[in-house]
Amino acid sequence: MIRKMAEGVYNVGAIDWERTLFDEIVSTPQGTSYNAYLILGSEKIALVDTVEPEKVDQLLANLDELGVDRIDYIVSNHAEQDHSGAIPILLEKYPGAKVVTNAKCKAFEMDLLHLKDEDFIVIKEGDTLDLGGKTLKFVFTPWVHWPETMTTFLVEDRIAFTCDFFGSHAATTHTFAEQYDRIYHEAKRYYAEIMMPFRQTIGRNIKKIEELEPRIIAPSHGPAYSDPKFIIDAYKEWISEKTKNEALVLYVSMHGSTKKMVDALVDYLGEEGVEVKVRDLVHADMGEIAIDLVDVTTLIIATPTMLAGPHPSAVYAAYLANALRPKVKVVGIMGSYGWGGRTVDILKANLGSLRVELLEPLLIKGLPKDEDYGKIREFAKKIAEKHRELGVMG
Amino acid sequence: MKYRCTICGYIYDPAVGDPDSEIPAGTPFEDLPDTWVCPICGASKDLFEPVGE
Repeated sequence: MIRKMAEGVYNVGAIDWERTLFDEIVSTPQGTSYNAYLILGSEKIALVDTVEPEKVDQLLANLDELGVDRIDYIVSNHAEQDHSGAIPILLEKYPGAKVVTNAKCKAFEMDLLHLKDEDFIVIKEGDTLDLGGKTLKFVFTPWVHWPETMTTFLVEDRIAFTCDFFGSHAATTHTFAEQYDRIYHEAKRYYAEIMMPFRQTIGRNIKKIEELEPRIIAPSHGPAYSDPKFIIDAYKEWISEKTKNEALVLYVSMHGSTKKMVDALVDYLGEEGVEVKVRDLVHADMGEIAIDLVDVTTLIIATPTMLAGPHPSAVYAAYLANALRPKVKVVGIMGSYGWGGRTVDILKANLGSLRVELLEPLLIKGLPKDEDYGKIREFAKKIAEKHRELGVMG
Repeated sequence: MKYRCTICGYIYDPAVGDPDSEIPAGTPFEDLPDTWVCPICGASKDLFEPVGE
């Protein structure tokens, strides 16, 4: 389906209603889209980004429907295959088209797609490309989420094509985000899973986009935003150092002892005035955990000791939290053990990138006894104290 | 002073330099050429921050 963005500007990308998993790890409960934007100048025709190759039929049909018989420039903002993957097919269908991108992206696409040197026109930061009444300006926005990512700005219509930056995994027939609540959650999921490790560079890139004063932000996944402030403000909040008065408790329990500790901790935290989110690592969706990690103050990992270490599900969660680099301030490790092991050391080793305060771990032998509940209460009090110190709890 | 890559966590230690990029030991971070990038992830020099110790 073709979606008109402005006079001579169309989203001719593909909608993927069926996709449930991205990167073989990230769930996409609302599907996704791969947006490709056609810009018709009086002299030249440009296509900004392409689609996941298996969905190329939708893109080609949209171009045919608009009567496009030639493309002069395929602008590539990002070398990842869900946006660049159809370039070889387009080059074959539209001989004479050139891929317009930066030097880093060119190198990646020569590696990933086997494109040739002569396929490219290499642009530099701030360069412009005149299509006749439509001018493209290239703004480098690195590390959202690869080193080569850039934004293409359509000067006359003030549309910023930001590729993955500001995107959401959402299949929709809407041209512009209309259900802000739904898109907010999906944009937050997208940020959590893809962008969160790059918080520092995102701040700089937001500034660059703001300086363009866009009327529309058109990412490559999900709907475009006719109110750029909506998504820019959301990003600013997510990357800020501000956290919520919340503790995320990720647990796995084999025979119920660790679960009893978790249940007690949750009650005590509630009594102390700390809001809690609890997720069972066996059944939890890693995407939802990533969303939680965007703004919780405290992360608790609760695991039994097995095979002389933490349960592998707990290691997986710790590894992921470490790689996503949330702004979490406090981390606690707790659980039940039978005779001994290296549970704490192994989890600690997997959390090395987080700049957090690690609470004194709370390991209990066997099923918690009366005095152990006292220790769990102290653990909860300690967390509440940290929340007060950090100013997240009144 | 040591500098940490904000993207991947690699630490540039001037005492070690970056032999793979032909940066000799003893080169302060400030003296690295602007074209130098993180040997692990390719982040540019401005994406590094000092490590306070």
